[in-house]
Amino acid sequence: MLKVDGVSYRYRDAAAPALQDVSLNIPAGGVYGLLGPNGAGKTTLISLLAGLLTAADGKISLNDQPLTEARAANPRAISLVPQDYAFYPMLTVAENLAFFAGALGLARDERRQQIDAAIAFARLEQVTGKRAEQLSGGLRRRLNLAIGLLGQPQLLLLDEPTVGVDPQSRSFLLESIAALPASGTTVLYTSHYMEEVEAICQRVAILDQGRVLSEGTLDDLLATADSSAEIELDQALPAALAERYAATDLGHFKFGLFFRSTVEVARLLDELAVAGCTVRQLHVGRQNLEQLFMRLTRRSLRD
Amino acid sequence: MTRLTALWTKETLALLRDRHGLAALFVMPVIFILVMTMALHDAFMPGAAIDVAYAIVDLDGSPHSQSLARRLGKTGSFRRVADPATTDAARADIRAGRYALALVLPKGFGERLLTPAGADGQATEALTLMVDPTLNPALQLAFRNQTSAALGMLRADELTHSAGKLFGLPTSARPAERDWPDEIVSTAVQNDRSIRPPSSVQQNVPAWLVFAMFFVVIPISAILITERQQGTLQRLAAMGLPFRFLLLGKLLPFFVVNQIQAVLMVAVGIWGVPLFGGEALAMPTGAGLLHWWLVAAAVSLAAVACALLVASLAQTTQQSTIIGGVGNILMAAIGGIMVPKFMMPGAMQTLAEWSPMAWALNGFHTVMLRHGDFAAILPDLVKLLACAALALAAATWLNRRQTA
Repeated sequence: MLKVDGVSYRYRDAAAPALQDVSLNIPAGGVYGLLGPNGAGKTTLISLLAGLLTAADGKISLNDQPLTEARAANPRAISLVPQDYAFYPMLTVAENLAFFAGALGLARDERRQQIDAAIAFARLEQVTGKRAEQLSGGLRRRLNLAIGLLGQPQLLLLDEPTVGVDPQSRSFLLESIAALPASGTTVLYTSHYMEEVEAICQRVAILDQGRVLSEGTLDDLLATADSSAEIELDQALPAALAERYAATDLGHFKFGLFFRSTVEVARLLDELAVAGCTVRQLHVGRQNLEQLFMRLTRRSLRD
Repeated sequence: MTRLTALWTKETLALLRDRHGLAALFVMPVIFILVMTMALHDAFMPGAAIDVAYAIVDLDGSPHSQSLARRLGKTGSFRRVADPATTDAARADIRAGRYALALVLPKGFGERLLTPAGADGQATEALTLMVDPTLNPALQLAFRNQTSAALGMLRADELTHSAGKLFGLPTSARPAERDWPDEIVSTAVQNDRSIRPPSSVQQNVPAWLVFAMFFVVIPISAILITERQQGTLQRLAAMGLPFRFLLLGKLLPFFVVNQIQAVLMVAVGIWGVPLFGGEALAMPTGAGLLHWWLVAAAVSLAAVACALLVASLAQTTQQSTIIGGVGNILMAAIGGIMVPKFMMPGAMQTLAEWSPMAWALNGFHTVMLRHGDFAAILPDLVKLLACAALALAAATWLNRRQTA
C-alpha cells in the first residue's frame, strides 16, 4: 500500500540528516508499528507521509502512485493524528468535529454521517456538548483520534496516541485502533510503549538516528536462534560459567548467554544449582520487543 | 466554501468565548473614549477655563480697585477664590496650597490710577503679584498679562471719563465695565470651508477606535499560537488545507469585529459622551460617510494583517501579548492617539508619520474635520493597504519557513 524507498531528509541548518536512506513497505490492512528512541526520525517520517515535508531524496508512493499525486487526487487518503491535542480547547466536542469535517470539505450529509460515526467509534456520545478543555486526558485522546477518522482515511498516522491516559482508556484506545484495519483503514502506529506495539502491530520497523535498524513481521523479529538466552539470577554469575557461555552483563543480575547447543541449557541449570545460584527467569528462543529494541538501539540515553 | 464557512464559524465561536479578547476589543476602548473625552474636554477648547485659583488682596477698597477685581473676574480664565484680608494671610494661603496667585492692590491704588510710576513726582506703590513658585511660568505670565490688560482698560476708561468731564462731553456717572478680553473665536480654514478645530470627542473617538482595531492582535494571536503549539495547524495542513485559506478564515471574522467596533465607538461618541456632559460626535453624511467607512476598512485590513504577523513572529501567547500590546501602545504614543499630533513638537510630528495609527487617524480627520474627498484620503488609504499587504506577505513567509 505505502512504499518508502530510499528516502533521506535533512532539516535546514541541521548538522546530521534526520532520515537516511529509509525504505519501508507498509501493506494494506494492518497495524504497522514504528519504533525508535527520541530523535530517531519518527516524527520526520510521519511529517513526510502527511505531506507536511517533502523528501529531498527517494520516493514515497501510495498504492503505486507518487505520494504528492495520490494526495492531490484524494487529500483525505492519509490522515494525521498528532501527538498533541490538535483541536480547539474552547470549542465543544461536537463543534470541533463539525469544524474539522468542514475543513476537510465534506458535503453536508456526508459530514453529518461521518461525525456520527466518529462519535460512536470513540464513544463520545455523553460529552458532545462539553468543551474540549473540560475533558479528561483519556477523552481528549479519544477526540483526537475521532477527528483523525473523519474523511475515512485509507492510512491513519498515529503519533503516540496513548500518552497520558489511564489504563482503562489505553485499553479502549488500543482495542479501537486494532479494529480499524477491519473497516478498511491501515494504521501506522508510533509509540514508546513496547507492550502496546507487541499487542496490536503485525509488522514493525525500528528506527534510530535516521536509519532503519530492523523491519519485518513481529514474529520474525522476535524469534531468535536457539543459541542465545537471557537469564536472571539472585546473585552474580560465577566467573567460570560466565566465561564458558560468553556471558554479557545486562545489569541487576541479568545476563545474556550463548549456547553451542540446546543440550547445554540443562547442563547450565545443574551447574548453577551446584554453585548455589537461584534462577529467577530464563528466556530461550524468543525475546520480547523491549529486549530487541534495547539491543538494537543500545542502551545509552538519548536526550 | 464549506471550508471557509467552517473556518469562519470556528473563529467566531473561539472569539465569543475569549472573554479577555472581547474586553480588550470592546470594553477597553469605550472606557478610553469616555474617560479621555472628559479628561481632555478643556484641552481642545481655546480660551477655556484654566484650573488655577487666585485671590485679590484689596488694601485700597476704592471703586477703582473693586472695578479692576471685577474686570479680572470676567475673563474667566483663572478661578477666583474668597479674598484674604491681609498680605500675610494671602502668603499663608499660597504656602498651604489653597491658591497659586494673589494680586495685592496697594492703598491709594484708586487715587494714583492716572499717575502711575510717580508721573507727578510722588512715589506710587506698585501692584504686587504673589505666586506659588511651582506654578507653570507660562500661567504666571498669562495672569500678569491679563492683569496688565485689565489695568490698561481701566485706565483708558477712567481717562475717557475724566477727559469727558474736563471738556464738557456727555459721560455716564460711572465708566461702563465692558467685558474683557473681547472674545476671539478660533477658526481653522481648509478646503474653502471654515470649520472649527477638533473637539475632544472628535479627536478621541477616531483615535481610540484606531487603537481598539489594532488590538485584534490579542485574540488573533491567542488562537493562531494555540493552533501552532497544539499541532492543529499541522493537522489542517495534512488535511490539504492551504495556508491562504487559513488566513482568509481569520481576515473576514476580524474584519467584521472591527466594523462592529467602529459602529459601537461612533455610537458611544454620539449618544454616550453627551450623557457625561460632553459634546456629541458629529459624523459626516452622504459621500463623506462612505469615505469614512473606506478609511475604517483600510485600518481594519492593516490591523488584522499586523496581528497575523505578530502571531507568526511570537512563539508563545505571552510573547504575542507583549509584542502586540507594547507595540500597539508605542504606535499609539508616537502616532498621535494618546497625545494629539498637533500638540507634539516638530520632531515628534515627523516621527508620527511612521506609525500606521497616525495614517489611520489622519484619514479619519481628513473626512471628519476637513471634509476631504476621496483624493484627499487616498494617500492614507494607500499607506494602510500597503502596510496590510506587506504584513500578510511576511506572515505567510514566516509560516512557510516554520513548517519547512
